Amino acid sequence: MAPYHHLMVHFPIALWTVAALIIILRALSDGALARNAAAVLTPLLVLGVLTGAIAYLIGLSVFPYEAISSSPLGRNKLIAATWALAYWALLAITVWRLGDAVWEGAKRWVMLLLGVLGGGLLTVAGALGGHLSGTPSAVSQLFRLLGWEVYTTFYVPNFMLVLLVIAAIVLAGLGLVGRRS
Amino acid sequence: MPKKNLLNAVVALFLLMLVLSWFFHGSGVVHNDLKRNIYIPETLTLPLQVKAAYNGDKMFFRYRWSAKQPHIYHDMMKFQGGKWERYGKSVPGPQPQGIYEDRMTMLVDDGSVPEFEKYGGYITIGDRMRFFTNEAKKEEVEAHPYLGKQKKQVEVGKHLPETRANVGDWKSVVPEVQLKAQRQAGYFLDLWHWRAHRSSPIGKSDDQVIAEARYGDEGKGPFFDNWDKDKKQPKLMFDAAKVGKTALNWDDLANRKLGFDDLYYLREDQAKPYDPNHAWKEGDTLPRRVLRLGEGSRADISVQGQARWKDGYWDVTLVRAMDTGHPLDDKAFVDNRVYSVAFGVHRDAFGSRWHLVSLPKRLGLNRQADFTAARFEGAEPKWEQDWYNVTLFYPGQVSWPLLTSARHAGAENIKKGIPVRARHSEVQLAHYGVEMEFYDEIRKQWLYTLLAGVLLIVGFGIALNLLLGKKEK
Repeated sequence: MAPYHHLMVHFPIALWTVAALIIILRALSDGALARNAAAVLTPLLVLGVLTGAIAYLIGLSVFPYEAISSSPLGRNKLIAATWALAYWALLAITVWRLGDAVWEGAKRWVMLLLGVLGGGLLTVAGALGGHLSGTPSAVSQLFRLLGWEVYTTFYVPNFMLVLLVIAAIVLAGLGLVGRRS
Repeated sequence: MPKKNLLNAVVALFLLMLVLSWFFHGSGVVHNDLKRNIYIPETLTLPLQVKAAYNGDKMFFRYRWSAKQPHIYHDMMKFQGGKWERYGKSVPGPQPQGIYEDRMTMLVDDGSVPEFEKYGGYITIGDRMRFFTNEAKKEEVEAHPYLGKQKKQVEVGKHLPETRANVGDWKSVVPEVQLKAQRQAGYFLDLWHWRAHRSSPIGKSDDQVIAEARYGDEGKGPFFDNWDKDKKQPKLMFDAAKVGKTALNWDDLANRKLGFDDLYYLREDQAKPYDPNHAWKEGDTLPRRVLRLGEGSRADISVQGQARWKDGYWDVTLVRAMDTGHPLDDKAFVDNRVYSVAFGVHRDAFGSRWHLVSLPKRLGLNRQADFTAARFEGAEPKWEQDWYNVTLFYPGQVSWPLLTSARHAGAENIKKGIPVRARHSEVQLAHYGVEMEFYDEIRKQWLYTLLAGVLLIVGFGIALNLLLGKKEK
C-alpha cells in the first residue's frame, strides 16, 4: 500500500499548506485578495481532512501495526500524523462553524497562531514520512537543533501526561464558562 | 471573566502544554537498571580510524581510537580478610573499580557468510544472548547436550544464524555433522581479538572464530585462568627471583600508578606455583589471568611494535600471515580479493556487550572497496595512506531474530537482501539500540502521549469554538 499512501498524501499536504498560507494572509490583511482567498478556506480545510483521513488509513496498512509501533521513527510518524489530522480537523470545524467571526478583532491573531502551528505539525509529519520512505530531508536537523532527535520516540513522562489531561479538561471548562458569561 | 481574557487564557494554556511537552519529552523512562542488564553508555558513537597493508606474506591492520584513559588492568585477585577476592569480572556496565581491559575486535569474512557483508555483526546476535535482559541461564546452557556438555559453553555467545534450525531458539543447534560441513565450506567468521591486558603486554592478540559459538582457534590461547577451583586459591604467583616481588599492590592498581612500562600482568615464565604459606598481607594482588605466547592457530596474530595509549588515543597494529594455513579457523587474505570486516571497541572499563561496533565495511586488496589495503615491499608498512574513518555505535539489545521478525519494519528488506547501510545510519542504530532496551515501557508511554495529545487538541477545539464567537448571519 506504500505507493498509494505516497500518492494520497499529496492532497492533504497541498490542501493544508494552501490553507495555512490563506490563514496567515487573512490574519494579516483585510484586502480583497485575502477576503476572497478566505472564502475558499472551509472547503480547502474539509477536503484536507477528508483526504488526510484517507491517507492516514492507507498509511496504517503500509506496515503491520506491530512493526510500525516498534520503530521509533514509525511511532513518531504515527503520533505526528494523528495529531496533524486531529489538529486540522479542529481548524476545519472551527472555520466552518464560525465563518468570518474568526477574523474579528484580536481573534485573527489566534487564527494566525493556529495557522502557523498547523503548518509546523504538517512539516513534522511530512519530514518523518520522508525518513520512513528512505528519503530523509535536512528538516530533521532543525528538529535536532530544537532539542528533538527524530530517531528517538517522542513521548512525555507521566507527570506531563497528567498535566495534559488536566489541561484538556480545563480548556473545555474555560470554553463552557465563556459561553455562559 | 470577559470572553477575551478567557480566550487568551485558553491559548496560553495550550501553548504552555506544547512547550512543556517539548521540553520534557523523552524523559522518565530510559535509566540504568543493572538487575535487567541495562546500562546505557554516555557516548553512543565513537570515531575509529583504520589502515590496512600487506606485503604478500603478512597482513597488517592499524587501529586508532580515543579513550579518556587506558584500561590495562584486568581481572585481579586481592588478598583481603584472609582470602582472595576477585575484582574485574564481566559485569553489566563499567567495572566499578575500573579493572577491565580495553579491547579491539575485528570480524573478517571472505564472502562465505553472505549476510555478513550486508548486516555485519547483527547476524551473530542470536536468541537470549549473554547479558541481554532475557539471557539464558548458565544452568540451561551447561545442560545443553552439545553447547554445554560437549563444548563446555556456559553462556549464549555470538553465533551464526544457520548454525540453528530455528534462528529464534539458541538451543536448536543443527546436527554436528552439518556444523562440520558448514565450517569446511567457510561458514564462519574470523575474529581478531586484541586485549590490552590479556596478551598485548607480551605482544600477542587472541585469534578466535565465530561459528555455532565463539571459540578460540585450535591450539593454546595467549592466557589462562590463574585460579585452582579445587584448592580455591591462585595457581601461580609472581616469582620474586625474576621480577622482585611476589604480588602486586592493590593501591597501585586503584590509584592507576602502574603504566605500560611497569609490571601489571603475570607472565607464565615469570611465575611460580602459588605458595599458600607465604606471608600474604592485606592488599596483595595477583592477576587472575596468566599470559603466555600460545600455540597453533590461536597464536597466529601478533602485535606489531607496541600497542600504546598516548595523548588520548590508542594506537594498535596487528599482524598475521595472509594465509595462516588454518582454513577452518582463519580467512586467508589473497591479493585482488575483497573482504568484509567489522570493528568493535571496548573502553572505559566496559566489557561484554557494552562495546561500540561498526557496520560492515568492504576491504579491498588491490580492488575497489570502502577502503583498500596498501601493498608494500619490505618487512613493515610505512602507513603513508590516509586513515579510513569508521563510526562505531552502541548496538544495544538488538538481535538477529528480532530483526527478521514482524516487529522489525525492515524485515522484508532483509529478505530482499537490502543492506543495513541503505536504510540506517550509525546514529540511528545507536538510538534504536537504546530504545529496544526499554521496548515495552517506551511503546506504552508513546501510546499514552499520543492519546493525551489528541485529548488536548479536542479540549482546545471545544474551547475555541465556544469562545471565538458565533457565525455571522
